[in-house]
Amino acid sequence: MPEVRQLSQATPAPIGVTDKLWVAALALLIVGGIATAPLLLDTYMINILIRAFFVAIAAITVDIVWGYCGTLTFGQSAFFGIGVYALAIIFTEYDFGSWQALFALVAAVTVAAAVAALTGWLSFYPGSTPLYASIVSLVVPIVLVQILYSGGTFTGSSSGLVGFESFELEFDNWFRLAGLSLAAVAVVALIVMRSDTGRLLKAMRDNDERCTYLGINTRRYRIIVLVITGIVASLAGFGYAAVGGVAAPENASFSFGTRLIIMVALGGRGTIIGAVIGALSIEVASAYLSGSLPYVWELIIGIALIAVILAFPDGLLGVIKRLTRAVQPTPRGAATRLRPIAAAAANDKASEVAIEVRELSKHFGSLSVLDDVRFTARRAELLSLVGPNGAGKTTLIRCLSDGRERSTGFVAIAGHAIDRLPPDGIVQFGLGRKFQAASVFETLTVAECLRVARTHRTRPSLISASVNLELPPAAISVVERSSLADRLGEEARSLSHGLKQALELAMVLSLEPDVLLLDEPTAGLTRAERQAFADILTTLAARDRLCIVLVEHDLDFVREISSRIIVLHQGKIALDGSVDEVVNSALVREIYTGQSTVAEVVP
Amino acid sequence: MTSRVFLASLAFVAATGSAIAADPIRIGVPVGLSGANSVVAPSVVQSAELAVEEINAKGGVLGRPLALDVADDGSGAAGAQKAFDALVFQKKVNVLISMETSAARNAGLPIVARGKTPFIYTSFYEGKSCSPYLYVNAWVPEQQVPPIVDYFNKEKKAKTYFLVGSDYAFGRGMLSFTKSYIEKTGGKVLGEEYLPMDGSDWTPIISKLKASSADAIITSTAGGAPNVTLTKQLRAAGVTLPYGNLAVDEGTAKSMGADAAEIYISASYVTGIDSPANKTFLAAMSKKFGADLKTPNDLSVPEYEGVYAYKAAVEKAGGTDPQKVLAALSEVSVDGPRGTIRMDKQRHAPLTMYLGQVQPDGSVKVIQSFPNVDPGAQCPPKS
Amino acid sequence: MLTVALDTVTTAALLFIISSGLLIVFGVMKIINFAHAAFVTVGAYAALVGARLGLAWALVLLLAFGTGAACGAVTEATIVRRLYQRPLDAILATWGLGTVIDQLITLIFGREVQFVQAPITGTMDLLGIDYSAYRIIMIAAAAIVAVVFTGLLNGTRLGLSTRAVIMNEMLAQGLGVDSARVRLITFAIGSGLAALSGALITPLSSVDPNMGLPWLVSAFMLVMVSGGSLPTLAVSCLVLGGLQVIVSTFVNPILGGLTIAICAAIVLRIRPEGFARA
Repeated sequence: MPEVRQLSQATPAPIGVTDKLWVAALALLIVGGIATAPLLLDTYMINILIRAFFVAIAAITVDIVWGYCGTLTFGQSAFFGIGVYALAIIFTEYDFGSWQALFALVAAVTVAAAVAALTGWLSFYPGSTPLYASIVSLVVPIVLVQILYSGGTFTGSSSGLVGFESFELEFDNWFRLAGLSLAAVAVVALIVMRSDTGRLLKAMRDNDERCTYLGINTRRYRIIVLVITGIVASLAGFGYAAVGGVAAPENASFSFGTRLIIMVALGGRGTIIGAVIGALSIEVASAYLSGSLPYVWELIIGIALIAVILAFPDGLLGVIKRLTRAVQPTPRGAATRLRPIAAAAANDKASEVAIEVRELSKHFGSLSVLDDVRFTARRAELLSLVGPNGAGKTTLIRCLSDGRERSTGFVAIAGHAIDRLPPDGIVQFGLGRKFQAASVFETLTVAECLRVARTHRTRPSLISASVNLELPPAAISVVERSSLADRLGEEARSLSHGLKQALELAMVLSLEPDVLLLDEPTAGLTRAERQAFADILTTLAARDRLCIVLVEHDLDFVREISSRIIVLHQGKIALDGSVDEVVNSALVREIYTGQSTVAEVVP
Repeated sequence: MTSRVFLASLAFVAATGSAIAADPIRIGVPVGLSGANSVVAPSVVQSAELAVEEINAKGGVLGRPLALDVADDGSGAAGAQKAFDALVFQKKVNVLISMETSAARNAGLPIVARGKTPFIYTSFYEGKSCSPYLYVNAWVPEQQVPPIVDYFNKEKKAKTYFLVGSDYAFGRGMLSFTKSYIEKTGGKVLGEEYLPMDGSDWTPIISKLKASSADAIITSTAGGAPNVTLTKQLRAAGVTLPYGNLAVDEGTAKSMGADAAEIYISASYVTGIDSPANKTFLAAMSKKFGADLKTPNDLSVPEYEGVYAYKAAVEKAGGTDPQKVLAALSEVSVDGPRGTIRMDKQRHAPLTMYLGQVQPDGSVKVIQSFPNVDPGAQCPPKS
Repeated sequence: MLTVALDTVTTAALLFIISSGLLIVFGVMKIINFAHAAFVTVGAYAALVGARLGLAWALVLLLAFGTGAACGAVTEATIVRRLYQRPLDAILATWGLGTVIDQLITLIFGREVQFVQAPITGTMDLLGIDYSAYRIIMIAAAAIVAVVFTGLLNGTRLGLSTRAVIMNEMLAQGLGVDSARVRLITFAIGSGLAALSGALITPLSSVDPNMGLPWLVSAFMLVMVSGGSLPTLAVSCLVLGGLQVIVSTFVNPILGGLTIAICAAIVLRIRPEGFARA
């Protein structure tokens, strides 16, 4: 039974009874408020708020896709419009009735899901950029609106559809329905975004590449998020049309999509509550002000947007948080407890082949960066890859970890051929790669970073943030030795360079890799840190039988810890041998000093 | 522009309000201050302002002054929803009197019904809109299309036609009526093309028109920008066919300059109408607005008469009770620049129509006039 | 078919003029300027003012270019400069700026649609058909724009510095190129081009505060597909513009408006760097 070690002391106690009472009271207040408000407000305000509630639901979906996942999306309005038109078209063509309503609901959900899946497939593919995803999200509502325009009397074209019969509900009850729906969506969104899954989304936003190299299929997650938010936005549109009785192309347009983004930006992106506040404020203010000062109101919005982007990127909520934090700083999250998991099974596969490379070449046009590289590395080997700048070392690492990088040749990791797999597929074979510049998740805490690193071993929870963090012993030892153990609740961006490197190493070790690729891991470390690092690496190779490949410039470090050295020069392997062989080789001296003599390639 | 309108309304209400100290009757004017109708909206607001000023100067309606509430409906359905909501539920107007695009009108009607507010629609449109709260004092296709098609048939010997419109209820409704009327009178329609309301590039349609070798072209676009872009591009492409424009008003034609010359229009109002009522009206508009006057046209004059119609109805009904006013509206008549008008044909009005041709200086020369054209059966009672 | 061909070439010319300004900005700064549409509108209104003042057409165009360039310079110095590290936020901020410019224009000039007379009216007889003379002039205008700016890029020191910054900004800075100045001038020129295109298209359509918007998305997609190269942009405009005309003429003008956006999205999916060879 592994012992549970409580390593973090400076964090507050987990959520207690008083907190739960507060939450319950707040919930009661909100529900009560929504139920009784119609009795207090006048008709006009009720009308506006009903519509605003549905728009706010759409704004929440924008916040999830943009604020949490990092894709600037103009396209959520398209899904909203799909819901609007699904209802309007069905009720216009087939009148109103219960089977029509059900049919319309199913149509709204399925069409939105299909379009979202297509959009996701188009936007999120290996190698896509956030800019491209934004572009696609821009095109979707434009295409949809044009389709609506070309639909003649079926879609009402520029006029839209009006006059269809809809659900018979008192406006007061529409208010309660819409308000409670908004509250429900907001609560669910908050719970999920605060859970481990939410952290994972933020990790994808902060550093998609790191996630891929942790074995996380970011494309799949992003598409799933898009489909779910698309369905929710469509349902919001469904409600909007049901109460308003009007379907107009403006409900699906790119302008409306931009409007949603503005609401989220002004309210505070990445907070859910910010989206709700932004949407409600702008909808209400717009209704009261745009009648009397239509142009001045739009002008104010434009100026506010610029100001927010330039000076207050976290929006209104960010400003409030900063003010209250100044008053009462609170450390984040509950105490995290580290728990070691059982060490990997017996290591009689001691001399198993970990990396196999045959005839590996990479060229850009006529420029050859790697030329017929071949070698084999076994478990428990600590192999250093050295060579002057431009020799192709990092390229070789890339070709080992990403199946699409190489031009020709064969690579196998832990006995599995990598073919053309993307990094997240290769990580599944037991590969871990540590980057040269510490690649972590800036806005997540140390504990959360480690939790994300465990994603491909244990699925993240959808509802809670885990308190117990199970890590393999190798990772725990890194965390303890580097004093990260005392800083589990700190955000990664506030760590020193050396600590970030240690964090990244711990994250990669959390994968329980069989093969570890490290790119200049000692760059920028202090002497003491380098020594600690050397100890860690040698232990990993000796005790845990990892195959470690190290790209390094620090030849003393290399000499100290390596069991084998490969020298790369101009894309070819110049020398592959033991430390003594390589260190004493005249060829290596030539390569490094650039003095030309006859090149001797030792096979 | 609109802030001036708003301030003017405010000031004017304040001024007249202090003269007659009584609870004002509020007239809501949802109109396209932005969007496709923004070209004509200012003239509509001016007409309403003149009518209200004149009526208040004579003591108001049943001793109460009139007050205007103008709201922007964005010339479309989404904006109309917001504008109607604001006017009916926030400002709580007693009546809505305005011209709007069909998209806006259709979106506003459910709100009108919920708020039980009479709505006098002062815009020509494609017909057959039959809410019990809606009265129309402008023309429908049955009144407007035959003069042009008959003229093209007889005088221009046109046998084949090409139709172009904006893709919404009005564009399609007008052209579908036109097509059936053309076919009924022995002509043939070679092409019927649409662009969305905010489209501005008519190039492929114009190329199709030229390729079809039609004898005449009839267009029905949204008022304002689409009219202008289409005409300009037609002229730039060298199209000189007989050109009947079902949706242009004199004001827009004037601002199109030379491009508008020789366009045929069929309207219930042209500034050249030679009647004392029209001359008095034009003089009053000139005096009130001076250099800011927007040419009164077939979309704005019915607004003026609409306000007077409401006054008459309220006086007949003895108050602003919606049901009584609605009943009275079909019984009262107004003597205005367009003659005597009574909305007694299923809530629509017989009108005198004028077939005119735009001159190079932008004015309209009347070629023929047709008194008391019946609107036909717009809203037959459900039997 | 000649009409279709002429429609294609003139549409492509129009698209080229409007997109070239956006391309220059994107190429140097890797930022998409969503206020581009507003600058087009600014140019159109500058042309309106110039026409009202009775200036000769050449002066009107110069006035439009100058106004746009001035607006661009101010924009770069105040807003864009701070957002180089945040390209997505730059899109939003420039969109906000576009809104601000549109509303200011509305407040000053009013909402109504205004008109500018074409300097050349009527048609030309070209190979047996009558075609709008002004549209044909567009081809010449596009060619002039292309030639002038290629000349600027390849023949002047500023052009050389600009190309250096495009290829490798840090290296260029290290070699003494004032990249901040290059960016400022580039943005100003790009905006000036946008305004110029606005002035050029007014005789064909109307002048209203929202006129630039429909062009924004097409221009944006064309720039992305062209990847930063002016010659490639010309080709893209021809190919995609041609597709647009064909679809508009033979299928449906509404769907025609979509062709550029959809084709560009697909192209970018297959070849993310666009067509240019860096």
